[in-house]
Amino acid sequence: MSAHEPGLRDLVSEAVASGVWSEEFGTVKLRVPRSEWVESHRALKGRLPFFSWLSAIDWAADVAVGDAPEPGEETAEEIEERFEVLSRISDVSSGDGLVLSTDLPKDDARLDSLTAVYAGADWHEREAAEMFGIDFVGHPNLAALYLPDGFEGHPLRKSYALLSRQVKPWPGDVDVEAAGGDET
Amino acid sequence: MSGGGAGVLHSEARVSVELQTPEMTLNIGPQHPSTHGVLRLVAKVDGERIESVEPVVGYMHRGYEKLAEVRTYPQLTALLNRIDWTAGLANEVPFVVAAERLMGVEVPERAQYIRVVLTEMFRISAHLLFLSSYPLELGASTPLMYALREREHVLDLIEGVTGGRFHPNFNRIGGVKPAAGGGKGQRSVAQDLPRGFLEQTRRAMAKVFEVCDDMEALVRGNEIFQQRTKGVGIIPVEKALEYGVSGPNLRGSGVRFDLRKVEDYLPYDRFDFEVPIGENGDCFDRYVVRLEEIRQAVRIVTQAVDGIPAGPLRARVPRVIKVPRGECYVRAENPKGEMGYYLVSMGGRGPYRVKIRSASFSNISVLPWLLEGALVPDIIAILGSLDFVLGDVDR
Repeated sequence: MSAHEPGLRDLVSEAVASGVWSEEFGTVKLRVPRSEWVESHRALKGRLPFFSWLSAIDWAADVAVGDAPEPGEETAEEIEERFEVLSRISDVSSGDGLVLSTDLPKDDARLDSLTAVYAGADWHEREAAEMFGIDFVGHPNLAALYLPDGFEGHPLRKSYALLSRQVKPWPGDVDVEAAGGDET
Repeated sequence: MSGGGAGVLHSEARVSVELQTPEMTLNIGPQHPSTHGVLRLVAKVDGERIESVEPVVGYMHRGYEKLAEVRTYPQLTALLNRIDWTAGLANEVPFVVAAERLMGVEVPERAQYIRVVLTEMFRISAHLLFLSSYPLELGASTPLMYALREREHVLDLIEGVTGGRFHPNFNRIGGVKPAAGGGKGQRSVAQDLPRGFLEQTRRAMAKVFEVCDDMEALVRGNEIFQQRTKGVGIIPVEKALEYGVSGPNLRGSGVRFDLRKVEDYLPYDRFDFEVPIGENGDCFDRYVVRLEEIRQAVRIVTQAVDGIPAGPLRARVPRVIKVPRGECYVRAENPKGEMGYYLVSMGGRGPYRVKIRSASFSNISVLPWLLEGALVPDIIAILGSLDFVLGDVDR
């Protein structure tokens, strides 16, 4: 959460005209349309050359999100079903950086690969591909990175239930934190 | 070998045997002492020269990002300090800071200083491990004894405070672990740092400083060591940035960038320390940078111990921790490089999604590029100099 150089926002709005800038909790996020995913990165690479990571979020409405809200608490609004792909790029002088984000519909989870812009996107895209089932078009070798041969499913999708949790709910009814023993 | 007189016999017979060097696939690992865990390299070699290398990772994949979605916030620190097991506590810090940021919790100063002291001790411990294992991989077994002896003192201090040598699980949202012992009646009197900790730390830090000098004399100036490492495995700056190579590996290539100087996850701006860099980006420079970083970490620990303020160890937080809706990315300078968490909370007792950005993952993703054209005997020198931990690669 560094003090952003005033230049970054100007540069971004110039280089990525279609991007929507938001900043919360010290994290800058720039939403770009899916069609301009690669171009946005290419336009920002000169200013933000450090490729930190790429990953995705599976936004799923039909899955309990966190815990059910207490009575009286505001209820979580409806979540739009989609994959959100995120990538973080930054510089190595002032610490400026931002998260680029784009949405993919679940029935058409395809996105152009960043490997031609940032070579380091290679492994990150392979991971996101196997974990979420996203197809990165133009990736030179989209083979599984972690999962063994013959593994079925995409583990980081919300619809993929963790086997151990199905066998035995845990932490279960007894909440160790609520049971006391801690300060405050 | 042709001896002195043998030349006469063979003077007319020119040996013109073309060495057959068909392309060969060489499998290195998964079990190999220099791979720091379980890493497999599938190398295509032409004689001694490497044509291409494909690292095969995933042997240590434990699915932390999935597990993070079914655990509560207080439970998660116990998992996360196992990502890079040489840096225990340092893995917990960015995560709890991310949660604190979303909750708007202000961490007491004393807790922040304790986090700094322990993070830097883990940095010293991780780098001392490197200083001992790297020469060992190149054939020098003596430095191991020196570096590990001092590392033991540091681990003892860590154990005294946290109760664990590698997996402290010491951070809490809002501060650090509060009172242990004393019984229910005395819970209000928080148990603090162990008695004599500050004094023992000063003494141990002086010892660590000395061992850096020993290492300097034993290893850095050693001609064999220099021949094995100088000019080997050069990472140019552009490649390092593009692949996300961070930490000492990036600084070895001459980039003076340290997240402790630009991010505010811990109050590093109050301490006076330098960011050492290399010149050529080769294995030797990466070694020297880590050696220097130990000295800087010693400076930070000494200053933090001298200036540690009194006060509570933990902010007042609800007993059941719920993190309000929001997303944030918090990154920290860990011993291996940039470690960060992208935390997405939907207001529950556990995260909706945690993306774990681990340093070693990006640091070794440069391997296929870096090893292309290198010599087979240099593989070990290059692998070792990147100082990765497979738990940090696979998560």
